[in-house]
This record gives sequence, C-alpha cells and structure tokens, in this order.
Amino acid sequence: MRKPDSSIRAKRIIDSAWSYLLLVVIAFIFLFPCVWLITSSFSSTGSIYDYVGFFPKTFSFSTWIDLFTKKTPSCNYPVWLGNTFYVAILSCIFSTILVILTAYTMSRFRFKSRKMMMKMTLLFGIFPTFMNMTALFVIMTQLHLFNNLNGLIILYSCSAPIGYLTQKGFFDTIPNSIYDAARIDGANNFQVFVKMTLPLSKAMIVYTALTSFTFPWSDFILPQMLLGGNKDNYTVAIGLNEMTDDMFSLFAAGSVFIAVPIVILYFSLAKFLVNGVAAGAVKE
Amino acid sequence: MSGEKLLHRAAEPFRKLDRFLKTCTSSAKCSMFLMGLGQIRNKQVGKGILLILAEIAFFVYYALIGVTDFIGLFTLGTKAGDPILGITGDNSITMLIRGVISVVVTMFLVFVYYQNVRDAENVALRRGEGKPVNGFKQSLGTLLDEKFYMVTLALPVVGVIMFNVLPIVFTILTAFTNYSSEIAPPKLVDWIGFGNFITLFTVTSYISTIGKIFYWNIIWAVLATFLSYFGGLCLALLINKNCVKGRAFWRAFPILAYAVPGFITMIGFRYMFSGMGPINWLFVKIWGEAARVDFLGINSVWAARIVCLLVNTWVTIPASMLLSTSVLSNMNKDMYEAADLDGASSMQQFIYLTLPFVFFATTPILITQFIGNFNNFGISFFLRGGLMNMSEYFNANSTDLLINWLYNLALGGSNNYYGLASAVSILIFILTGTFSLLAYVTSPSYKKEDTYK
Repeated sequence: MRKPDSSIRAKRIIDSAWSYLLLVVIAFIFLFPCVWLITSSFSSTGSIYDYVGFFPKTFSFSTWIDLFTKKTPSCNYPVWLGNTFYVAILSCIFSTILVILTAYTMSRFRFKSRKMMMKMTLLFGIFPTFMNMTALFVIMTQLHLFNNLNGLIILYSCSAPIGYLTQKGFFDTIPNSIYDAARIDGANNFQVFVKMTLPLSKAMIVYTALTSFTFPWSDFILPQMLLGGNKDNYTVAIGLNEMTDDMFSLFAAGSVFIAVPIVILYFSLAKFLVNGVAAGAVKE
Repeated sequence: MSGEKLLHRAAEPFRKLDRFLKTCTSSAKCSMFLMGLGQIRNKQVGKGILLILAEIAFFVYYALIGVTDFIGLFTLGTKAGDPILGITGDNSITMLIRGVISVVVTMFLVFVYYQNVRDAENVALRRGEGKPVNGFKQSLGTLLDEKFYMVTLALPVVGVIMFNVLPIVFTILTAFTNYSSEIAPPKLVDWIGFGNFITLFTVTSYISTIGKIFYWNIIWAVLATFLSYFGGLCLALLINKNCVKGRAFWRAFPILAYAVPGFITMIGFRYMFSGMGPINWLFVKIWGEAARVDFLGINSVWAARIVCLLVNTWVTIPASMLLSTSVLSNMNKDMYEAADLDGASSMQQFIYLTLPFVFFATTPILITQFIGNFNNFGISFFLRGGLMNMSEYFNANSTDLLINWLYNLALGGSNNYYGLASAVSILIFILTGTFSLLAYVTSPSYKKEDTYK
C-alpha cells in the first residue's frame, strides 16, 4: 500500500535538508584551511603565536612585499620560484614525450618482451623513487648531477614512463580499425603515430602534461635529497619547509603563491578531471 | 620428478645449442666468431660494419675499465685510503656502482651477440631460399615501421634502467654490505652477507622498533585506504543525489583541496595542530586549560595517529571522490528504478547495487591506493616535522611507517646506517611487491585489457 503524498513530501524535504546541511559542513571543512592560509599571509606580524585563535590581529601587505623583495639567508623566494619553474617546465616537456611514447607503444604493438616489461614496470612503479635514496645519492654524485637542478629534471623525466598505465588505457580504447585503415592506405607506423594517434589524443596529452608539471612543481622529497646545502639551488618546497614558526605568514604567502597556478589549472580542467582521472585506469 | 629427468631437462638448452652449432649456416658461424662478419658475408655490409664497430667498442671498454670494474665488484677495494698520510685508496662505493655497470654492459653484450647470430642465421636462410634481403636503407626503414616500437621504447627503457633499475639493484647490494657513515670511503666497505638482516631481527632495540612500526603500518594502510575510499564514494553519492542542485559548485570545494600541493596542506596542518596553535586555542577556549592536547608532540601516540589519519583523509578524499564520480556516471540507471519498484530501501540499493559495481570497477586503483598508503612518507614526515627518538623506539616516532624509518636510518640522524636502511628497503620491496603483483595479475583489468579493441 502506498503512503499518502504529504508524508512522502515531508520525507523528501527532510532528506534534502540533511543533504544540504552535510554539504555545507563538508564544503566548510575543505575550504577553511585554505581560507586560513590566505588570511595568514596578510598578517602584519610574522609569527603564528601572535594570533587570536585562527586569525591574525592586524592585517597588512607587508609579508607579500617582503616575499618578493627581501633577500635574507633563510628566504630567497624569487630565486626559488625561478628554480621551481625551470625544473617543472623542462621535466614536464620531457616526461610527457617519454610517457606518451611508452604508452602508445605498449598499447599498439605486440612484441616478445611486452608482458614481462609490463609486470616489471608495475613492480618498479609501486616503489617511490626516493626509496633508493642512498643509491640515488651515490649515482647522482658519480654523474656530477648532485646539487644540480638538471639532475632533478633527468630524474623526474626518466622515472615518468613507469607511470604510463593511465595513458596506455586511453590508447587501448582507440579501435584498431582506425589504424588498419591508415595502414591499408600505405602509411607506416611512424606516420600513423604522427598523423593519426597524436591528433586523436590531444586531451590525453594535456592531461599528461598537466600531471607531469604539477608533480615536480609541488614535490618536496627529491629536491630535499638532491639539492642539499646550497640555498641558491632550492626549490620553493624545500625553502618553505625550512621556515620556522615565527615566519608563518611568510610561509603562508609563499604557499598561496605557488598553489594559485595549480588551482587555476585544475579548475579550468575540472570537467576533464572528472572524466579523465578514471578514463584510463578504470576498466571492467 | 626423478633426479634423472631433472638432469635431462636441465641439459636441454645445451642440447639445443649443440644442435644449432651442428646445423647452422656458415654465416651464423662467422657472426659467432666476430660480430658483423656473417652480415658482411650475407652482403649486408652497412649492418656488418656497425656491428664490428660495436664489438671493438665493447673490447676497448673491457680493456680499459670493464675488467677492473668487474673484479672490484667482488673485492670492493683492497687499499684503504688515508687522508692524513695523503693516500688515495680504493673508493668502495664507486667500485660497487662501476661493478654493477660492468655487469649491465656484459648483459647488453650478450644480448647484442645473440641477436647478431640470430640475424645472420635468418638472413642466410632467406638468401638460401632465394628470397630478397633488406639493404641497409631498408633495414633502417623497418625501424619506422615493423620495429617502430624499438625506436619509441629505446629512450624510456634506457632512462628507466639508469635511474630506476640501477638504484634498486644498488640498494639491494648495499643491504649486504656494512656501509654506514662510520664505515664509508676512505675506509673500506665490505660484504657481510646477511649481517644486516640478522642485526635487524636479533638486536632488541631494532626488532622491537620494527614490530611496533609494522603494527601501526598495517593498521594505518587499512584505515587510511578505507577512509579515503568510502569517504570519497559517499561524497560522490551525496553530490549525485537527485535533490542536490548545483553539483559543479559543491564539487569545487574538494577540487580546491585536491589542487593545493600536498606538502603545503600538511605543513599547514602541522601549524594548525601545534601545541600553541589555533585548534588548541579553540579547545582551551571551550573547555579550559585542561583540554590542551599535545597532538603532534614527541610523546603523543594515539592523538598523533588520529590527526595523521584525519589529515590524510582530507588530502585523499577529493581524488577518491572524482574517481567514484566517473565510475558512477558509467552505471546503469535502470537497475535503480527496478530496485525502487521492488521496494528496496536506499540503504539496500547502496549495499547490493552501488557497492559491488564500484568495487569491481576500481579494484586496481584500490590496490595502488593501499600500497601508496603503506608507503606514505609525507604524512608523518611533515606533520611530525621529522621528529625522532621517541622512547621505546629506535630512530622513529609513533606515526612513522617503515618508509619513514628507512629515511631516518639512512639520512635522518647523525649516524647514517646505509646498509641497515637498504635491508629495510628490501623488506618493504618484498612485502608490497608480492602483494601488489598478486593482486594485479588476478585483477580483471590485466586479464581483459583488449576488451575495447
């Protein structure tokens, strides 16, 4: 027997009220730390201990001005930012090329050692690169790449192909018939790749470039290991981590500034993100 | 299997080789004698000259440094240096790396040699049958076509071997040496067999630390994965509810959190939960001074662990939500209508329809997330600020995972126990490697990769 309409409507209203209440709470939880950092960057005194609760007593722009103009032994933000940019952009270019090539090859060709290679990359892929920190330290010293931004770029680019699975999943969804048609027309595999595959996979290339830019941009551990000592070689991440409690507003300003480009990137690609994260990785 | 049979099977490759030597063409024999000779005999001069040059390069390498490097791998140096007397002795660590490289070069030589003989044999057979043989230009042409994969994979493979495989090999080897900051060049490092493993599992301070860390490591990996996975799923379902308007707006908040670099979030939370920080200010304001909690201090165990879990959930839920959203969008809506008609409650629909579907589609990701959490270095490192030497622990604190301990042993303290740290790496390799390889090979996405072809 069906319940009367009014009771159903009441139930629905309560249900949606609960849902919205929950959503507001969740939105607050995610938003609050970000707002907290932003307001902190406008604190007129640097230390976190001068705050009343969560927020600074007085506000000013002085921290932001200091961030870009003052050069102190413990803070040299413009140079760090330049280093981070240099590493992230070059790593992004090389990683994207290597990952796309690897993923395309693994998806399109069937050759003898393929399955073995897939298992091996999977095995290596689960171990963070820095787990072999002693080895990396020694090897990079041998190659004169220790304390050198280029060493970092080489390391990021060379480890990138290991994470090719998402991209391979994408190439797997391009039907073979498209390729076969081109092959019948006499194109060789190189031409097929340049003229068919690349234009078809623009979205995936953008996704790959984005992720391989954001990783070095916000990575901390490898720079910390390989750029020890010389503060002029620091990236923003190491610099910010070494700041002390009384430099909290400087930390907040520096963090907000490097987070903003990434946030903008993510939001402009939000639609793609909702579909793209799972496009390659999730399959039945 | 009887011993005789086993012997028979073991001898099989040699019999094959013997048969091949008796029946192969003289071109193959020439190539066996000198790489490229058979190719020249097959009228493939360009290829032949390249191979001869390669062989010369190999020999120059072995004559100059290869052989010494290879021997060095076993001795790890015989002459200790002394900076005071000005003696530059052998550098064991350099010798270890160069020894490994000499092994890699040798493996590469064997591979090239094998390919060279095979190629000479195949081409000679084709010529014998009167079939056309590729000229040098055509051989290069196949690199853009049938063998295009060799071109595209060359650079990635070399890079991965150099900067991923070589370090892993080096780590594994280091685990069997006594390399530490006490015993490091100019002193001589030596092979000590399983010494490091024996130390780890017999010396009380190590074994009790491993036990405690491992206990928390497992709990952490399970709880962290569970919270982020189901948290993300529930959030995705909540935003997808029919009564919710403005989905893109609600989704923006988690995406904001997703976009902020992880280390910023974590250092931020460290300040927020610090002893005099805002959270404690709030506690004191509401409940008085007695309520102050030293969340991340050196003696904090469960308070620190809970904060770590909460922060990790905050950091990982957005990605998990995006994933669930895209999986849910592939789901067939008719099933829910049918279930509605049958009078299933929304809870029942969640348990019997949504959960199995999402679970099935995301198994590989669940594995990756579990491993990622098992080796989640950042959380404890940033939130505790590299705190070490908690009582009852050796070089670790209550939220450290095995991977943090490894870092502390190798680089964290004033003493660097490289050998021991590498032994811990091997333990992590074995634990996570076995688990994920098994889980992956049995997962549908590996077995049915050609579904959409």
